[in-house]
Amino acid sequence: MSNLDLAQSGALGDSRLAGRRGAAEVWTVANELPTFFAVVAAIGLAVYLLSNQFFYLNLLTMALLFGGLAVSWNIIGGFGGQFSIAHSVFFAIGAYTAGNLYKHFGVSPWIAILPAMLLSAAVAAIVSWPVFRLRGPFFAIATMALTEVAIAFAMHWKAVTGGASGLTIPYRAGLENMIFQQRWAYAALFLGYLAVTLLTSIVILRSRLGYYLQAVRDNDKAAEASGIPIMWTKLKGMAISAALTGIGGVFFMMYVRIVEPAGLLSLFDVGVKIPLIALIGGISTIYGPLLGALILVPLDHWLRAFMGSAVPGGNLIVLGLILVLGSLFMKKGVAGALRQVYRAWSRQQ
Amino acid sequence: MSAIQLGVEGVTKRFGGLTAVNDVSFALGQGDILSLIGPNGAGKTTLFNLLTGQLAATAGKVFFDGADITHYRPNQRARLGLGRTFQISQTLTSLSVLENAMIGAFLHHPRIADAADKAYAALERVGLASRAKEEAGHLTLGERRRLEVARALGLEPRLLLLDEVMAGLNQTEVARIVDLVLALNASGQTIIVIEHNLKVVRTFSKRVLVLDRGKMIADGGADSVLQDPVVVEAYVGKKKQ
Repeated sequence: MSNLDLAQSGALGDSRLAGRRGAAEVWTVANELPTFFAVVAAIGLAVYLLSNQFFYLNLLTMALLFGGLAVSWNIIGGFGGQFSIAHSVFFAIGAYTAGNLYKHFGVSPWIAILPAMLLSAAVAAIVSWPVFRLRGPFFAIATMALTEVAIAFAMHWKAVTGGASGLTIPYRAGLENMIFQQRWAYAALFLGYLAVTLLTSIVILRSRLGYYLQAVRDNDKAAEASGIPIMWTKLKGMAISAALTGIGGVFFMMYVRIVEPAGLLSLFDVGVKIPLIALIGGISTIYGPLLGALILVPLDHWLRAFMGSAVPGGNLIVLGLILVLGSLFMKKGVAGALRQVYRAWSRQQ
Repeated sequence: MSAIQLGVEGVTKRFGGLTAVNDVSFALGQGDILSLIGPNGAGKTTLFNLLTGQLAATAGKVFFDGADITHYRPNQRARLGLGRTFQISQTLTSLSVLENAMIGAFLHHPRIADAADKAYAALERVGLASRAKEEAGHLTLGERRRLEVARALGLEPRLLLLDEVMAGLNQTEVARIVDLVLALNASGQTIIVIEHNLKVVRTFSKRVLVLDRGKMIADGGADSVLQDPVVVEAYVGKKKQ
C-alpha cells in the first residue's frame, strides 16, 4: 500500500468515496475519435467532389501533405514547445530514402516507409541530443543551422541526392510503386498520410507522453521534480515527429518524382513553412495545424500567382504580415479564435 | 527509533564567493517531521534544492534509504520517493488543475485513467477537487500553492518537502494544510517543511532545525530550540530591531 493510500485512511479519508472520479474528468482517445472520423470523412468527400478538377485537387493534395507535416511537427513543436525549423531535413531524408531504394533497388515505396521512418527518427535523435540543451530562440537558430548543413551535405553527396540537378525516378504507374495515373489517388494517399499523423497526434496528446511533453514545455523545473526525464521526453517526441515527417517525404517523392536539395530543404518553402502553418492554424491543438494548411497552402499559391511576377517576394511579405497579425491578435491561431467564438455563441444561447 | 531515511553529511553549496549552505549535517528517520527555519537568505531553499537535486552540492553527501544520491538528477530522486513543492509555485499554466496534479500521479500510474483518479484524490485532499477542470493559470496564489502540494502528493513520495506552502494562504487555507500535513505525518509520511509561521512550526514539530547564513545553528525539540538564545538572536531577535 502506498503512502497516499495509507494517508487517505487517516483523518481526511473522504477521498475513498471518490472511487474513479478523476477518470471521468479527463478527455481520452475514445472521446476524440468521432471528431477525427468526421474530419477525415469530410476531406474524403472533398477529394471525391474535386476528383475531376485538377487545379483544386492539386491544391488540396498539397494542403493535405503540409497539413500532415504540420501535424507531425506539432508533436514536438507544439506539445513539446521545441520550435524546430529543421523538419525539412527529416522530410528530405524520407524522400531520398524512398527515391534511392526505388530507383536503384526496385524497393516498393510502401516498404521504404519503414527505413525512412527509422532513419529520420535516428538522425533526429542524434542531432537533437546536443541541440536540446539550448532553449527558446537558441534552439530554433541551432535547427536553422542544421538545415544549412543538410543543404551543403545534399549538394555534395551526388550519388544519393543527384546534387543540384536533383534525383529523378522513372514513371511506372502501379499501386505497388505508389505511382498513379489518376490524380485523385494522390489526394487519397495524402489524406491517408494526414489521417495517420492526426491519429498519432491524438494518441500522444491523450497519453502520458503528451502530458509529459506539455509539462516540459510549460515548466521544466516542475516537470523534473515530478520525476519526468526531460531529455528523454523531448527525444521521444522529436523521434516520433521526425518519423512521421519522413513518411511525408516518401509520399512527396513518389508524387513529384523529382526532388532537388534547394526545394526539399528550402527554409521558406518547407523548414519555416511547416511551423508557420501550425502557428497560424493553432499551435498545440490537434486540428489547428491542419486548419493552417487548408488556409495557407491555397493562399500562398494564390499570392505567388498574382504577385510572383509583379512583386517578386511579395507573397513572403504578405505571409509575414499575416504571421505578425496572427501572433498579435490570435495567439492560439485560427483554431483558438474559432473556439472563443463558439464559446461566446453558446453562452448567448 | 525509526530507521534513518534521509542522511545529510557535510553538505555545502558555494555560489562564487558566497557560501549559501555551509557544512550542514543531519539525519531524518522514517515517519519523522522536521521544520526548517531561519531568517531570509539563511539557505533553507538552497538546502532543499540540494536534497531534491535542483542544485549540485559543492561538497558533502546526501543519502536516501542508505543509497548515495548526491549525484542523482531531480527526476531520479523523485522516482526514489522525494516529492517537493517550490517556494515560487511552478504551475503548468496551459494545463487544467486536474492535469497539473496528474503530472505527479503519472510517475507510478502510467495509464491516464489511473493517474486521473489518483490526481483527483490528491486534489480532494487539498480542497481543489471542485476546480479540477479549470485552467491552472486562473488559480489564485494560494490555490496554486495547494495545487503544488497535490502534484507532490501525486508522486506518492516517501519524503515530502514543503517549501513555505503556507505563505500567501488565508486562515482557512492554512488550517486545511496544517490538518493535511498532520494527517499525512500521522499515517507515516516523512515530511520536511520550510516555514516562517512559528505557531505552525510548534504545531508540527517535535524537531526544528535552524539555519543562519548557511550554517546550522540549532537542531532539536521545538520548545528548546525556539528559546535557545542563539536562535532568538539570529532569527526572532533580528525582527525586533
